[in-house]
Amino acid sequence: MIKKKRKYIKHQVKVDLSLEGKTGKAEDIYERYYRMTQLKKCYSLIRNKYLWILVIMLSVFTGVIAAQQDISCYHCHTKVVTEFRNNVHYDKGFNCADCHGGTDVSNASVVSYSVMSGNFIGRPNRENITDICSKCHEAETKDYKTSIHWDAIKQGHPDAATCTDCHGVHEIRAIKDPNSSSNHQNSPATCAKCHSNKEMMSAWYYGIKADRFDTYKESFHWRALDKGYALVATCADCHENHKTKSHTDPTSSTFPENLPNTCGKANCHAGVNFDAKVATGLVHDKESLHTGELVFNKTGLSPQMKEYFFGPFDLAYWIAIFFKILTTGVIGFFTGMVILDFFSRLKIKRRF
Amino acid sequence: MSRQRSIEILEPKITGDNKMGEIFFKRFTFNQLFQHWVMIGTFMLLVISGMPLKFPDASWSPVIINLLGGFAMRTTIHHAAGIAMVGLGIYHIVFHIFVDKESILERKVWPTIKDAKDFWQTIMFYFGKAEEPKYGRYSWKEKFDYWGAFWGMVMLCVTGLIMLFPFKAMELIPYAYVHLATIVHTDEALLATLFIFIVHWWNVHYCPEVFPMSKAWLTGNLSEEQMKHEHALEYEEIMRQMNETGENKSSGR
Repeated sequence: MIKKKRKYIKHQVKVDLSLEGKTGKAEDIYERYYRMTQLKKCYSLIRNKYLWILVIMLSVFTGVIAAQQDISCYHCHTKVVTEFRNNVHYDKGFNCADCHGGTDVSNASVVSYSVMSGNFIGRPNRENITDICSKCHEAETKDYKTSIHWDAIKQGHPDAATCTDCHGVHEIRAIKDPNSSSNHQNSPATCAKCHSNKEMMSAWYYGIKADRFDTYKESFHWRALDKGYALVATCADCHENHKTKSHTDPTSSTFPENLPNTCGKANCHAGVNFDAKVATGLVHDKESLHTGELVFNKTGLSPQMKEYFFGPFDLAYWIAIFFKILTTGVIGFFTGMVILDFFSRLKIKRRF
Repeated sequence: MSRQRSIEILEPKITGDNKMGEIFFKRFTFNQLFQHWVMIGTFMLLVISGMPLKFPDASWSPVIINLLGGFAMRTTIHHAAGIAMVGLGIYHIVFHIFVDKESILERKVWPTIKDAKDFWQTIMFYFGKAEEPKYGRYSWKEKFDYWGAFWGMVMLCVTGLIMLFPFKAMELIPYAYVHLATIVHTDEALLATLFIFIVHWWNVHYCPEVFPMSKAWLTGNLSEEQMKHEHALEYEEIMRQMNETGENKSSGR
C-alpha cells in the first residue's frame, strides 16, 4: 500500500507526511493533490502563448482570404454581395471597389473603413452610372448616349433607363445567359418593367403609351417566343438595344424610312424586297383593335401619317366589329335553331 | 345531266331469306366524297394547329402546341394543311365550272325563293304552327352550309396566302392590309370552326335521327327512309321519273 502511494510522490510536489493522522488519512491527502495537479495542467494549456500565436495567425489568414472575397462588404451588404457573386464581372475578378471606388485592400474587420476611403463614391447617381460603365465599355456608352433614354436623363428625368435598368444592378449576367435580364428572350419583360408602368410613362412626357408590351403580345413574334420559339424579333432587335430612339427621329431604326433595313437584317427577313409601302407600317398600333378600342391618338399627326391612319386602321376597326357581329349573329342564330330542332323532335316523340 | 344523276339507284341487294333488300339513293359521287374527306382532314389539322395561336393566353394553348411537337412543327403543319386546302378550293372551282358538264345555272345549290319560304316554315314548324317543309335535293340548311363554307374558303385562303407570303404581298398591297389579313383570317376561322362544330355536327352527327352519324359522307348513299323524310320532293321526282321510264319501256315493247 505504501508503495502505491510513493508512486504518486514521485511526480508530485512534496507532501508533508507529518500531517498524517491530524487532517485525515494519507490516501485522502494524496488524492487531493493528484486532482489539483491535473487541473493545473489544463490551466497551463490556456496560458500557453504558442497556442495563442497559432490562433492569431489563423484568424489573420482567414482575414486575408476574406478580403479577397469582399467579406468586408458582406458583413452589412449580404444581399448585394450574394447577387454580385452571380455577376459576370465577379467571374472576371472585379470587386466592389472597381465600381464604388475606395481601396480594394481590406482587413476583413467588421467595419472596413479602409474600403470606404479615398475615392469611395457609395451609391452612384443615376446620371453617373454611365461614367462608371464607360471606363471599360466605351463603345456601348457612346451608342447609349445617342438614345432617347439618355436625352431624358439629361433633361432632368433620372428615372429614364440607364445601364443598370436593363443589365441589372449587381446581378449583371452575360448577355447569352438565359437568366440575364438583357437576354434576347427576356427583353420584352425587361422593357415592360418601365414601359407598362403608366405612372412612370406619364411622368416622362404626356402622350407616351404604356401598352407597348400589350400590343407586342398581339404580334406573331411574341406568340412564337411565348411558346418557346426563340428565333424571332424582340424589343431590342427592332429598337436597337443601346441606340433606342423615338420612331419620329430620322436616325432611328424604327423611323418609317429605315424600316426596310431594320426588318431586312441578315438574320431576320433577309433577301426580301422592301419598298416604301413597308415604311408606312407602325407595328405596335394595329392590334389594340382586338381589345375593341381605337388606341392610336390621331391628334398631332403629320398629314401623311394622318392619311395613313384614317385609312386601313379604321378599316381594321370596322372589320373587327363586322366579324364580331357576324360571328355572334350566325352562331347565336344557328345555335338557337339547333336547340329548337332538338325540342321539336322531343315533342314529336311524345305525341306518338 | 341533272336528270340522269338524280335517278342513280343502286341495285337492290337480295339477302339469303329471299327478301327485298334496301334501296340506296346515290347522293354524292366519289369525287364529291373525296373532296369532303380532304376538307375534313385539312380543316381539323388547321383548327388544331391554328386555335392555340388565336388564343395564346388560354391554358390549353401551350398544351396543344407541345402535343403537336413544338411551335416550329405547329407552323409547318398549319402551312402544309393550309396549302392542301387552297389546292382543294382551286380543284373544286375548276372541276365544277370547267369539267362538270352540267349547266351552271341549272345546279341545285343556288338559293331560290323556295328556300326563303322553307326557312320561315321551319321556324314555324319549330313552334308547332306548321308542317315540316319538304325539301328537294338540297335543303336551305345544306345550301347555307355550302355557301358558308364557300365564303369561308375564299376568305381564309386569300388571307392565309397573304400571311404565308407577307413580304410578297407587301409588293402588291400596303403593309397595313397585311395586318388586316390577320384579323380577317382568325375571326373568319373562329366563325367557321364554331359553325362546323355546333351546327354542321348537329345536323350530321348528334341529331337523334342520324346519331351517331349519317353514313352519306362515307358511302355517298341515302336509305329510302332517309330519302323520304329528308328529301321528299327529290324522292317523289325520282319515283315519277322511274314510272315514266318504266312506262316508256313497256310502251316501247
